[in-house]
Amino acid sequence: MAGRGERRFLKNMPGWRASFNPWILKLPNNPERLAFVLHRVTGILLILILFLHITVTTTPATRGWEFWVEEIRKAQGITPVTLYFFIFAGIAIFHGLNGIRLLLVEFLGCCVGKPEKPKPPYISATLKAPQRTLLYIVFALWIILWMIAGYIIFT
Amino acid sequence: MAQALKSAAKYPPKTVRVKIKRYSPETGREWWQVYEVETYRGMTVLDALLQVKEKRDHTIVMRYSCRMGVCGSCGMIINGTPRLACQTQVSMVASEENPEITVEPLKNFPVVRDLLTDFTSFFEKHRKVKPYLIRRDTQEQENPKTEYRMTPEELLEIYPYSLCISCGLCVSACPVSASDEGFLGPQALAQLWRYTADVRDEAWRERLEIADDENGALKCHFAASCSAVCPKAVDPGGAIQMLRSALLKYKLGLWKKRKISEPVPPLEPTGEKVPLPPEAQTLPGVDLEAMEREPVVIDASKLLD
Repeated sequence: MAGRGERRFLKNMPGWRASFNPWILKLPNNPERLAFVLHRVTGILLILILFLHITVTTTPATRGWEFWVEEIRKAQGITPVTLYFFIFAGIAIFHGLNGIRLLLVEFLGCCVGKPEKPKPPYISATLKAPQRTLLYIVFALWIILWMIAGYIIFT
Repeated sequence: MAQALKSAAKYPPKTVRVKIKRYSPETGREWWQVYEVETYRGMTVLDALLQVKEKRDHTIVMRYSCRMGVCGSCGMIINGTPRLACQTQVSMVASEENPEITVEPLKNFPVVRDLLTDFTSFFEKHRKVKPYLIRRDTQEQENPKTEYRMTPEELLEIYPYSLCISCGLCVSACPVSASDEGFLGPQALAQLWRYTADVRDEAWRERLEIADDENGALKCHFAASCSAVCPKAVDPGGAIQMLRSALLKYKLGLWKKRKISEPVPPLEPTGEKVPLPPEAQTLPGVDLEAMEREPVVIDASKLLD
């Protein structure tokens, strides 16, 4: 609390929550924000999975190849191992596809809206540009490829 | 805006509950305060706030000026969306089913009191990108005799970005500005690109170096929220991606400003006359040819009599 007569400004910044909560603000016509949040979340999960992957792949060294081969052989249908692979596939596919979109848009300036004279209904050019179609393609491909990966993993 | 046009035709609820987030800098206390406001057709959220201030509670602090979406002073978060209060109709954000309007100060700006935010850092960042034309020939720029050549196509390349009213809605919506105070922000970076892309400007290398800073364009992650909330369709998100693309190519030695315009030489009188269109008719008693031979001189002193 500020002292008597002393005034202080309120720091009104949501901080990291803005990067993980797409609904911290109600932003109409902004699926790019959802992609931004998903990209961050999947990026962090990929780092965590990397460490998990390193731990898991040391199993043959610690418990022997027979144990490893037996565990892999048992991973048929819905088991914790296949579920892990299914989730990993979803994370990796989205991060990869969206990463390609971001490389195209951010570094090559591809599919970004060209400057135009604003006219009603005053929607920014980039929100109507082909990058939006690219984003929908990323979402659609993600679901399709994830389903295919699920089919392969679980069968 | 389409939504605004649609909602302008309908009536808002007879009364709305305006829920204002308040802050006292003396005590550091934050609280929500609710006021009932009687509405009328065409009432904006700014009108509702002013009605509260005039009739209910004089202590509410906010900033506003033009009341017509030109000055960019009344940016606030209305029902969770950064908007200009003067351009937001009550009927857009309140209905008979939900007659409540929440009003908060813009996020990512320090709050001075209630709805009033401090824009000092915002304008410092704006100043940092040198938002003015820079020429090598400073003498010519300081004492111009003519203007710089610019085609309509070249103007269009920067025109939408020049419509920025510095309302701060883009910065308020930006998730990077939310976690990084040093980030230049969408407004400053869009203005950086606006002057870099301007054919009349010669300081593009200088500006690209500013954009290449650790707090510059590379911190943008293209959430495009800035473009989604911009009330003037300035498209800061698109401008920053073009800036990043140019920056990458510049660093690889592949980008150079295509054209720098030169001052237009003074126009010489050609003596050519612009003919009147065939449908133009002079008033009775007016002889154009006689007027050309003897120009009409109006004595101002006689007019005063």
